[in-house]
Amino acid sequence: MNDINTLALLGVIAGPVIFAAAIYFTKQTKLRNILVLGAALLTSALGIFIAASPSANVYPDSWVVYAGAGLEIVMTLAVLAIAYNIRSWAVGLFGTIQLVLVVISEFMHGESSIGPAFVVDDLSRVMVAIVSVVGSLILVYSIGYMKEHEHHAPATARSTNTFMFFLVGFIGAMNGLVLANDMKWLGCFFEATTICSFVLIGHDRTREAAKNAARAILINSFGGVALTIGAFLALLKGSTQYSGILYHADIIAFSFIALAGLVKSAQMPFQSWLLGAMVAPTPVSALLHSATMVNIGVYLVLRAAPAFVGTKLMYFIAIIGAFSFAATSALAIAQSNGKKVLAYSTIGNLGLIFTCAGIDSPLGYSAAIMLLCFHAVSKGLLFLCMGTIEQKIGSRDIEDMGSLLREMPLTTVITLIGMASMLVPPFGMLLSKWLAIEAAISSPIVLLLVVIGSALTVLFWAKWIGRITTVSYHPWYTIERISISKQSVLAILATIVVIAGLGAILLYRDLFVDIAIRAYQGTYISQSDMKLFEAAGNIPYWPFMAFIGLALVAGILAYFTVNASNVRAPFLCGENVPGSTKTYEFRSVKDSSHLAWSSSLYLRHIFEESKTTMWANLIAAVIILSMFAAIGVL
Amino acid sequence: MSETIIKLLIAIVAAPLVGAIIAGLDRKVTARMQGRVGPPILQPIYDVLKLLIKQPIFLNRVQILYAFMHLAFMMLTLVLLILGQDLLLTLFVHAFATISLILGGMCVRSPYSRIGSQRKTLMLLAYEPILVIMVVGIYLSQGSFMASDVVAAGAKPLLLSLPLVFIAYMMAMAIELQKSPFDVASSHHAHQEIVKGVTLEYAGPFLAIIEIAHFYEVFLLFAVVYFFWAPYNLANAAVGMALAAGAFLFHIVLDNTFARLPAMWIVRFMWVIVFLMATTNIIWLYRLGTI
Amino acid sequence: MSVLAKSPWVVHFNCNSCNGCDIEFLACLCPTYDVERFGVVHVGNPKHADILVVTGSVNHRNARVLANVYQQMPSPKVVVACGVCTSSGGIFADCYNVLGGVDKFIPVDVFVPGCPPRPEAMIDGIVKAVGILAAKAKGIETPVADKPRITVSPSPKPVDETPAQEPDEVGAVK
Repeated sequence: MNDINTLALLGVIAGPVIFAAAIYFTKQTKLRNILVLGAALLTSALGIFIAASPSANVYPDSWVVYAGAGLEIVMTLAVLAIAYNIRSWAVGLFGTIQLVLVVISEFMHGESSIGPAFVVDDLSRVMVAIVSVVGSLILVYSIGYMKEHEHHAPATARSTNTFMFFLVGFIGAMNGLVLANDMKWLGCFFEATTICSFVLIGHDRTREAAKNAARAILINSFGGVALTIGAFLALLKGSTQYSGILYHADIIAFSFIALAGLVKSAQMPFQSWLLGAMVAPTPVSALLHSATMVNIGVYLVLRAAPAFVGTKLMYFIAIIGAFSFAATSALAIAQSNGKKVLAYSTIGNLGLIFTCAGIDSPLGYSAAIMLLCFHAVSKGLLFLCMGTIEQKIGSRDIEDMGSLLREMPLTTVITLIGMASMLVPPFGMLLSKWLAIEAAISSPIVLLLVVIGSALTVLFWAKWIGRITTVSYHPWYTIERISISKQSVLAILATIVVIAGLGAILLYRDLFVDIAIRAYQGTYISQSDMKLFEAAGNIPYWPFMAFIGLALVAGILAYFTVNASNVRAPFLCGENVPGSTKTYEFRSVKDSSHLAWSSSLYLRHIFEESKTTMWANLIAAVIILSMFAAIGVL
Repeated sequence: MSETIIKLLIAIVAAPLVGAIIAGLDRKVTARMQGRVGPPILQPIYDVLKLLIKQPIFLNRVQILYAFMHLAFMMLTLVLLILGQDLLLTLFVHAFATISLILGGMCVRSPYSRIGSQRKTLMLLAYEPILVIMVVGIYLSQGSFMASDVVAAGAKPLLLSLPLVFIAYMMAMAIELQKSPFDVASSHHAHQEIVKGVTLEYAGPFLAIIEIAHFYEVFLLFAVVYFFWAPYNLANAAVGMALAAGAFLFHIVLDNTFARLPAMWIVRFMWVIVFLMATTNIIWLYRLGTI
Repeated sequence: MSVLAKSPWVVHFNCNSCNGCDIEFLACLCPTYDVERFGVVHVGNPKHADILVVTGSVNHRNARVLANVYQQMPSPKVVVACGVCTSSGGIFADCYNVLGGVDKFIPVDVFVPGCPPRPEAMIDGIVKAVGILAAKAKGIETPVADKPRITVSPSPKPVDETPAQEPDEVGAVK
């Protein structure tokens, strides 16, 4: 370990927090924006530096551990303060339990041989890269977004300074969380992200926002309790660190940490807080509730996966993930609220990552990391697009996005890129879904759930893409005017999505496979799993490029060569109302004009939200309880 | 290398021709079954050639891009299959080809076309899990996802271990070939109902592109039937061909005997009866522990 | 022979017909006559069609529909008018709402006489139309169809002599 690495580590965690404090006390808007930009630049630079640097560990002096413990107590007290503020006895109870456990553990001693307090390994480097790059871009985006949001936000909303403080500070906490190995630090940052999430969801301070923020902190502090219990149980066996739990294969302690992960990643039956979190301004949804914070859960499980190969616990985690994937995909079909569809899809994809992690083979592991990366970037992009669209058309309903391609062609094309990356081979998402199914081959129940889920996802993506590309013929399009910060971030993210997506096969072959191999070194892997793993790395690259290129070239050629005189109105049994402006109207009784309109497919009679949610929650709860029963906790 | 080129030529040039001839035979046999003379066997080729020289009328440019994507991904499916690549990935590519067509029908403001697309989405939903289960079954009986391993010498014919999956595949195939009772999305016979469904707003050369893609698909579907008895030697190849011919006749009889069913009915039928049938087969394989 | 002639796809539009011609036309598709052996497909929409088969006389309400349907067909395209109504309004010519024959609104290439015409006559008409289709594809000027000069008595007297306004190029962008 050298000093530069330590400094970078410190910078990536403390840097954003210091910037955040500076932002909080800045009076001038311009200066504040510059500070946000500075924070974004610093974090992304350091994040990329850490991601590119070799693995390193930071061994603690004793003060580091004490600082962690102190900060964890501070955070717990903050949760208690919030509990008092929103008058929630349940949050208070959870906070108290945490406080008691943390204080008791201060007086207990762990192992004498202490591992690193902060770890830079493959997984945390991947996470730091995601958090820093996607996070920084979202910070920049939020400069433009908040400027507009201030105008039509309700009068009760908190100041933008507070918003930026928590948003920027969150990135530091998140980086700390993924780098921490010491359970004290882990707990402290875990609580910090929960608090950030609470404040940011409640930003507008409307009745609905307050209610949803309260629900978010209630459910997440339950997760916090689970994490603290896990840490406490680990301490009883002598490990004060996450790596210690893995070293001892302490399955009971880990089961509680996994529960905390399921809560934080909003898996069924804990999904309601994430759905409620969509009332927050869109950068919050993009940053916390799709790209980074919700990944903590899968990160915690993924980190532990190689240590618990073949356990029942991992099997159950795979089932919970797969069930969440299938259930949320079904639920998303019935939604016409775009942000809610994205939220359900986020939960579903996190479920799929849990599945891959739970399958616990090199193939599953590599699929999980791949899914994690591609999902963060694509979903972050989609949320930002959603925010831009919402600010422009004033609605988040899918049915209102009919002529989007004409109103805001640039954003629409970028949205399409984001959606395509969820659906089109060989983009990363589809590739990892493919790997997930192959990895799940040895456990039939998981397999069936994933198959059902992935069939259902097609339905809502196709519907949405179909709606936003619906357009009449226009000889040219005028690019809409949106603020430079929003536009540049969308463009950069879209570029990342396209390049990474098209290179997904290469990335998989040269990066994710190696990570998985390193993670599973020395672990027993069955022959058939290994054979699958090797075969998956050998898919050819050129046919995909050739045919996608073919389609694009042909499409672009057609785009520029078609003749406007060949444009015709749609077939409406010949009853079209003549005239170029009203081509979609048809004549009905007494020569009245009607707009030809058909709604999209929602299947509401089958996937009615409240009923489906109830049953799904029930089943998910049973699965989680049986998980605990299977490992002998209950 | 030269082998790859030959395979590519088969996939890109020969496949649509064979597909067209199969489609032509289909029309001929159907006509004979109805006591008619029927069109020439090369009729689908004439149709496509005619469409290519018609006026290219269209509604918007997005629609055209989707048509090209449909064709390109359908070709890609076949190329991957013939190169002996991973079956599951091939299946996903095929699904996306279908999605492109669906989007092509959705992106125009034509109610009939949109309804056709929505029904097609339901159809995709109905048969996609069956096909994935089929691929899983193939893995369980052959120990590999690679198409090349299925046709490798010495492999056991799939039909012996996957009889129920084969029946399920027949149903999925009927949907994809748009045969009654599953022809709700876009059918030659359903023009009273939703005019032409998905392809309604495509005309001239753009319709020709979709027709060509359909020929690829027809070839693909029958190639998969052939796979069910494919370990490579001459006698087995004959059996595989016979199987494909049997499937062909089965679909024509099905088409001529059944009336069209509602879309949701089809989804239910596929998800309950056919899905259970395929799953039963898979569970049986799991119990045998062949992997 | 041009490929156009090998696969004439037909769309059938019933203007104001008494259904006599329509039933006879559908009989062409039945086993006895089987027009599909010439590659004829009965498509449901004008966008896929090469030949527009019209039956019945034109009235105020369907004139614009007829024009729209014709306009939505991709060229080259031909129109086959079946039955006497399509040429003059037939026995409905004196009705208050009838405007007259199809040729007042869209260019007709072949008239098939009869009330209703026999299926054989219709098939003959389609075969003639196929020839015209091939000629049009090559850019050869084809004559407008002959129409029976002497019509039944009483002679058709449309209520409104001014022809219905033909719709603009629907959907076309100037």
